[in-house]
Amino acid sequence: MTYVADAIGRRPGVSQPSALPPVIVSRQTASGRVAMVLFLLAVVALAAMPWWAKTGTIRMVLELCCYIAVAQMWNMLAGYAGLVSVGQQAFMGAAGYALFVLAQTFGVNPFIAIFLALLVPLVLAVPCYMLLHRLDGPYFAIGTWVVAEVFRLVASNMGFLNAGAGMSLNVMKEYSLLERNIAMSLLCALLILVTIGGSYWFLRSRYGLALIAMRDNPVAAASQGVNVPRLRFMIYIAAAVGCGLAGAIYSMAQLRINPPSAFDPMWANVAIFIVMVGGIASIEGVLIGATIYFIADRWFGQYGASYFVVLGVMTVFVALYARGGIWGAVSKRWDVHWFPIRRHLIYKPEDKA
Amino acid sequence: MQWFDALVQGILLGGMYAQYALGMALMFGVMRIVNVSHGDLVILLSLIGISLASNFGFGPFTVMVALVPLAIALGWLLQRAVLNKVVGDDPLPSLIATFGLSIALQNMMLQIWSANSRSLPGGGIESQSIQIAGIYVGLLPVLVLGFATALTWGLDLMLKRSRFGRALRAASADVEAASMTGINARAVYASATAIAVGILGFAAVFQSLRSTVAPADGGAQLIYAFEAVIIGGMGSVWGAFIGSMVLGISQAIGFRLDPGFGVLAGHLVFLLVLAIRPQGLFGKV
Repeated sequence: MTYVADAIGRRPGVSQPSALPPVIVSRQTASGRVAMVLFLLAVVALAAMPWWAKTGTIRMVLELCCYIAVAQMWNMLAGYAGLVSVGQQAFMGAAGYALFVLAQTFGVNPFIAIFLALLVPLVLAVPCYMLLHRLDGPYFAIGTWVVAEVFRLVASNMGFLNAGAGMSLNVMKEYSLLERNIAMSLLCALLILVTIGGSYWFLRSRYGLALIAMRDNPVAAASQGVNVPRLRFMIYIAAAVGCGLAGAIYSMAQLRINPPSAFDPMWANVAIFIVMVGGIASIEGVLIGATIYFIADRWFGQYGASYFVVLGVMTVFVALYARGGIWGAVSKRWDVHWFPIRRHLIYKPEDKA
Repeated sequence: MQWFDALVQGILLGGMYAQYALGMALMFGVMRIVNVSHGDLVILLSLIGISLASNFGFGPFTVMVALVPLAIALGWLLQRAVLNKVVGDDPLPSLIATFGLSIALQNMMLQIWSANSRSLPGGGIESQSIQIAGIYVGLLPVLVLGFATALTWGLDLMLKRSRFGRALRAASADVEAASMTGINARAVYASATAIAVGILGFAAVFQSLRSTVAPADGGAQLIYAFEAVIIGGMGSVWGAFIGSMVLGISQAIGFRLDPGFGVLAGHLVFLLVLAIRPQGLFGKV
């Protein structure tokens, strides 16, 4: 066999041999299967939290899940689509406010409202992208920040949202602590399943192949028929909704929302630190980075400003000397991906005998 | 009359924004880099200036004489230590590096100077006003606008006429071709950043004279500089200057309409320009 089958299929217009080449495309690995089982177990464990964890633990795990979700959305944007955003908090706050308005002002069941609220970031992300995609590379990033500021200022000026004073989610009083814990645990499990599982599924699909090609070289990918603008648009919208879900869950757990906390730029710092230190363009990196950030926050958070100086300097260091982050260094040495998205072509000569 | 007053105040406010925007336009034009810590550098320089004034009893112009060389040195160091390693086609490394620097600087300033707002005592200059065409304008804002105009004019002249300006324009057009003709791109980049941050030395003095500064203020200054550059149109220093005026006028009119609406009005004008004229008012297509 002198030709190699590509992973998408055969080229049209080229006469095909009657049989496919004896090549199979393998995407799964042993480490990937183990990690898949562990991931599913983790999702089940998250959903079952009320039976093994205290309320305080559930709150902490919820925070960690939000970090992971927001960081993974940032990773999809910056790591794959080449869209560096420092304003994803816009969509977190928008979904949070939508939840509070639906549940508190209109009396919708909060656990239904949390899903309806996702329509708001979905709808808002479209015009935002239409405007922002006109900005060149680094200017796009600052543009997303302006959008987040606009959202915050609009929320601070809207009497309907109780302006700067913010809103409380009093309807949650109608539910017992156990009911709320069950809901929070299920939402955590769902958040991880959608953001991590969803990204994994997307990256392994046909679109994922196009996305990886685009990450490596957008111009070359476009020349191979990848619709780069459309793919970027899709990722931006998906990331807005993913961040919206994290924001809605986070503010539901907080029971209060006001403009500075809903549109907190801290989320951009956290996402960038997690992804860059953990390792950009990999799901493993997000999990590693989020764990490091979460532990560091618990241990060193008391040192306040000096702790953030260290985080900032570490981010600079990673950008200058270790672009791949921790997972980049690990995967260079050992080929044990937890979420394998590469395609391996395995050549299997047919048995003629 | 009230709207004419808002217009004048807006232009004067624009003078302040122009001093931030010039450096950003220069750095983006030359290196395609946005320095996220641009605003934090203004605040850092302001706080150093305030400390100099209170410890040694310096007047505002003595502070300026001390700050501008310091700012130039800081810019040169920033380029040599950080930015030269991240300049390139991929915008991610430079953004992340300067973003990390911004977080580190903000929190370092918080540790040294605490979260309090401070300002630079101007020895009366900040409260003097002059009457022009029936309205009173502050002497200080007029001075700020004068400096901004002079800086823009000087920068434009330098880019167009001087040997260094030619090297800079060559490096921004095609860095490889420029290297072939004997231009040392790294040295040109270092000088460009030194100038960009050096201008912030002036901005720092004026910012801390006309209002207060606190460690967390840097983000807003970065956003104003960015909006001014985009509104004016990339690739020209006069574009950045005019963009600053448009931003200042939008904010001043917004503040007249409703005190909570001023900054938002500036953002909305920026988004409007992005929607109907994405290349900026003076940008070439």
